[in-house]
Amino acid sequence: MYAIEALSLSKRFGDIQALSHVDFSVTEGETFGFLGPNGAGKTTTIRILTGITTPTEGTARIFGRDIVRDTIAARRQMGIVHETSNIYTDLSAWQNLMFTAELYHVSRKDREKRGTELLELFGLFERRHDKTNGFSKGMKRRLTLAMGLINHPRLLFLDEPTSGLDVQSNLIIRDVIRELNETGVTVFLTTHNIEEANLACDRVAIINRGQIAAIDSPERLKHTIQSVQSIDVAFDPVSPVRIEDLLQVPHVSEVRKNGDKFRLITEDPPGVIDGIMDYASTHHVRVISVNTLGPSLEDVFIRLTGLDIRTKGVKTVD
Amino acid sequence: MTDLAEHCGQFCTELNAAWAIAKKDILIYYLKPNIIVSGLLFPLFMFLAFAVGRPAAPSVMIPGLIAITILFSASSIEPVSIPIERRMKTFDRLLSAPISLHTVVLGESLSGFLYSLGIAFVPLIAGFILFPTQIIGIAPLVVGLLLTSFCFATMGTLFAAYPTESPGDIMSMLNLVRLPLIFVSGVFIPLEQIPPIGQFVTFLSPLTYGNDLISAAFAGNTHFNPLIDILMLCIFILIFQFVANHLYKKFNE
Repeated sequence: MYAIEALSLSKRFGDIQALSHVDFSVTEGETFGFLGPNGAGKTTTIRILTGITTPTEGTARIFGRDIVRDTIAARRQMGIVHETSNIYTDLSAWQNLMFTAELYHVSRKDREKRGTELLELFGLFERRHDKTNGFSKGMKRRLTLAMGLINHPRLLFLDEPTSGLDVQSNLIIRDVIRELNETGVTVFLTTHNIEEANLACDRVAIINRGQIAAIDSPERLKHTIQSVQSIDVAFDPVSPVRIEDLLQVPHVSEVRKNGDKFRLITEDPPGVIDGIMDYASTHHVRVISVNTLGPSLEDVFIRLTGLDIRTKGVKTVD
Repeated sequence: MTDLAEHCGQFCTELNAAWAIAKKDILIYYLKPNIIVSGLLFPLFMFLAFAVGRPAAPSVMIPGLIAITILFSASSIEPVSIPIERRMKTFDRLLSAPISLHTVVLGESLSGFLYSLGIAFVPLIAGFILFPTQIIGIAPLVVGLLLTSFCFATMGTLFAAYPTESPGDIMSMLNLVRLPLIFVSGVFIPLEQIPPIGQFVTFLSPLTYGNDLISAAFAGNTHFNPLIDILMLCIFILIFQFVANHLYKKFNE
């Protein structure tokens, strides 16, 4: 049985087609990443899968339960960590957890035991009786995750779990996600952090303009665009090197400056290495390091969503 | 038999969840300044402005004061709490929990109901201390307080369905309804003295039946049979509950 089955999900808001025949399935115990630019349909998909919104067409099942017709039974299987840390800031961490437990029908004995475990796990036990309006962003996020786990969910929806967090919170949350996965909990993760998806997910779906552009494991997705290979090259800092000059090197299609290095995108890495050496020799600059790189998940994402990040910010290319 | 037990179990868990929502509101919102102002002070000053100096007996004035206090206090919690929770995104917690939308509406209404029951004791006790009032019917008083409070709490939840993050937007709409209700429901003007065209409107106001039922406890005489008052209040509660449920569903799409 699948943990999630989305069958031809469509959602229309007036004239706007937010989702168009989205199909995917998530197997039990899998960590499934859901990537897409802003406005691609990620939030709408999560709202449908959690039963907050109904689809205009199509169906979604959670462990075989139809989310529209059997909403409550489907929701009992899941924990939800919303994008915003939506905790009650006038309540203490303990009160927040106990309230969520009551909403999810967790028995008094179990919720107190589970609440204590979770607060200890997330490093919040000492502050359990403090009102949460004094909590840092990371502490609020950790509490939100604890609230999502209070009912021992078989399926956890995580919407941007580590966005903008401090290092400590980031590490705790990533460890918990990994441990959850090891204990068989299915994780549905939406994130902007492509590297996070690359490291944490068994499979990734890339959604763009309301349609699924690709679904596969991160490694297999990278193999689909082997043509996007790159070379990272660092020159002696005293040697003036311009992007325009590197673009003249044969077989280089694009150059990005990453810190003290240049990333040269190419379909022919050996040819480019020769070209760089020629360039260094003729311009009397010293090459400090050269590394060849395969395509990253970010490259796949850019290729599939048609995003252009060469300019400042991110813009959509029609 | 198993199905019945299952349904009873499900009903109890839904009630527990509704009570959890009410407890959360009690902890967070009861002492918010705007709720105290709109739930307690506003009806008090409204009453003083219209009632002081009028030659009406305390047994007529006190039920009116109790009725409008309930109207304002019961319908003041959700129009403040729900928009705030929409802004803080905590309302999504309720909408995505394994409970029915009816339970969310019931839980939200429960907090307004309990708040107004507590507040209603202020004019009730003041009536005893300051005026020579006497309660001649405990049953209509208890039933009147309970049904009127729950009816207006559900009305507050219904208005709060409007999808805004600003409590002021809902309060403005609500006052457009609450203020006229006071004048067409026999609180300040006896129903017999309202012109025929206005009398039709009085039948559409739940405050008419609430005020009439509470008056029965003090004056002993009512415009309608108390059973009619009870029936009408129950009908209004059901209508508000189902319309609220429908609107929350519709506005979440």
